[in-house]
Amino acid sequence: MPSPSFSLNIGSMDKGLRKLLGTDTFLPYWLLLPTLIFIGIFFLMPLFNAILLSFRTDNGAFTLDYFKRMVKDVHFIEALKYTFLLALTIVPLQVVTALAMALLINTGFKGSRFFLYLFALPLGISDLAAGLIWLSIFTQHGFLNSILYSLGIIDKPIYYISYQNIGLTFLAVVVAEHWRATAIVMVILVAGLQMISKDYLEAAEVLGARGWRKIWYVILPLLKPSLQSALIIRTIFALQTFAVVLALAGDIIPVLSGQAYFWHFLYRNSHIASAYAVFLMVISIAMTWGYLRFLRSRAEVVRA
Amino acid sequence: MRKLSILFAALFIGAFAGVAEEIVWMSTQFVPIAEAEFIRNEVLAPFTEATGIKVKFVGAEYAEFTSRVQAEYEAGKGQIAVLCGLHGDLSPLAEALADVSGVKTGGTIPEGLTKLAVIGGRQVYVPFVQATYLMVVNKKALAYLPYGVNPWALTYEGLLKWAENIYKATGEKKLGIPAGPKSLLHRFIHGYLYPSFTGYQVLAFDSGAAVKMWNFMKELWEYVNPAAPTWDSMDTPLLSEEVWIAWDHTARVKQAIIERPDDFIAIPSPAGPFGRGFITVLGGLAIPKVSPNPDAAAKLIEYLTSPEVQVKILQGVGFFPVVAEAAGALPKGALQILARGVSAQAASPDAIVSFIPGGISDEYKKIYKDTFFKFVVKGEPVDVKFLRAQATRLRELYLEANAPYPAPDGG
Repeated sequence: MPSPSFSLNIGSMDKGLRKLLGTDTFLPYWLLLPTLIFIGIFFLMPLFNAILLSFRTDNGAFTLDYFKRMVKDVHFIEALKYTFLLALTIVPLQVVTALAMALLINTGFKGSRFFLYLFALPLGISDLAAGLIWLSIFTQHGFLNSILYSLGIIDKPIYYISYQNIGLTFLAVVVAEHWRATAIVMVILVAGLQMISKDYLEAAEVLGARGWRKIWYVILPLLKPSLQSALIIRTIFALQTFAVVLALAGDIIPVLSGQAYFWHFLYRNSHIASAYAVFLMVISIAMTWGYLRFLRSRAEVVRA
Repeated sequence: MRKLSILFAALFIGAFAGVAEEIVWMSTQFVPIAEAEFIRNEVLAPFTEATGIKVKFVGAEYAEFTSRVQAEYEAGKGQIAVLCGLHGDLSPLAEALADVSGVKTGGTIPEGLTKLAVIGGRQVYVPFVQATYLMVVNKKALAYLPYGVNPWALTYEGLLKWAENIYKATGEKKLGIPAGPKSLLHRFIHGYLYPSFTGYQVLAFDSGAAVKMWNFMKELWEYVNPAAPTWDSMDTPLLSEEVWIAWDHTARVKQAIIERPDDFIAIPSPAGPFGRGFITVLGGLAIPKVSPNPDAAAKLIEYLTSPEVQVKILQGVGFFPVVAEAAGALPKGALQILARGVSAQAASPDAIVSFIPGGISDEYKKIYKDTFFKFVVKGEPVDVKFLRAQATRLRELYLEANAPYPAPDGG
């Protein structure tokens, strides 16, 4: 049985209600209203408050002092460095892996659904829990050292997580983040792949494009919109990475979002915490703008 | 009619006698319902049974507590017989509190603690309970004790040699200091290191002694497990034996000792050139000057400071005893091990007791931690200019809040 459409519903509405809601022109806005209210209360208001907090003293005077203190903070430069380093390492790695996973699943081989669920499994685990799982692997007497020791590969535990070996600690964080958050990219890409019409692929094959050439010249360009959203989402989340880093690397690898958290909850200065948050927001907006600008699909470029 | 009036008279006298025997105990501690119930049923009920004195336990927030005591004092007439609060709750009220130096206690309270209760020449409270931070040692580490180093009277120099010995013998860095973002590292710095090495927690922040201290700490850090900046509490690394010697709050090491009571001992924190700096979160019992029943209050204080009751309080709410005899009265197990360490630390002859700063912005924690991070974790050379800037900011925080420097500096 076909479900009734919106216009049908409107038609059957009583006059008063129709008058109240206006005609079809206004209906979408009414339907959007709950979402707008939600975003307004839980997103825009805190955002506005954070901006105010970062620029205004408790007496209401305008000040740049909080930003100055943020920049002069012992951890600031390092936090900035590692936030970018993490994003720049993790995001490309994740996109490549996710693409491979998505292409594999999209071939529709027997049991591909099983792999889809298997790959998506880490999505169901909270990031702090994921961090703790990897901590139990990388800690001095953790699983990795135990296995290597019992295999006779090492005779003394290796300190993977160590302020003296930041490279290795960084790698541990990358591995954990990669495991935890690649699935979201994969899900977006699988959806994107399934939207590509079979006609293009068949046409490509008729014209002799196979394997890599087909992926490079046909699939990837058509996947651009999905790649774009995946990149934006992942980059913003990567800039906000916090729980995994906190669990695995503590103070060894400071990140911006962590500093905001500490200023707020440990040192109880919400002004400087907000300065960090606003700073992160500006970076996120700039990155998003960059993606939108440079990853436009051809059609958009032509129109522009 | 006559019979009736006799009955009334009897009732009146009975009721009067009942009132005379009930005293009010107001406290900022044990306020949560479960703790208050424990105090009423397990601690006060036996007291009433033994003495016939009924005690009405009233939990109060700091603000209510202060204004009530102050108001009763100013009115010259009060209802509250006895008070319980942390040092920081009681010391501002010193003027309203009676001298309790003559009150008999149920056990021996170390002089180092009693001294803290003396304000303006008068002892205004009797130390009652404490919480602190100390060292927990895996017994395996005792095999590597250097000659002449006594773990029960440990010095920082001795600790350095000990950790170095272990490293040379096992190739592992077995010393543990919680230095993670949510750790209590700041307590170690302002309540332990600074007083031990400079005699103060604020006043000598950028002194020459402080420079020496930071340089020593850099040396000691060579034997601290390199994962330390990720640790928020030491129970896990103690249990996994990633460390053998660790410093932390009693509550943050307790789990390790509970799980393997035969493997660990708890010992006092080390001493530096100025003495053995350590933090005591000290709770005390006081009698207001206008207390309606000072004698009954004194009896209650004697009862509450007896070893058996002190042990009961430790088991019930986790506050450690202040009386020396309590550790011996505890049943064998984790709490006894910890209580031994706490008692030994409190009773050490070279004690420098520090208090936790009160009333100032929590940013002070960051000042201590950041300095540690820069010099010790990052290994940058000790920079006097940076120390001076941090010291200035720290003093600003006290000035902004108009708060006194905590002990040992002042207060």
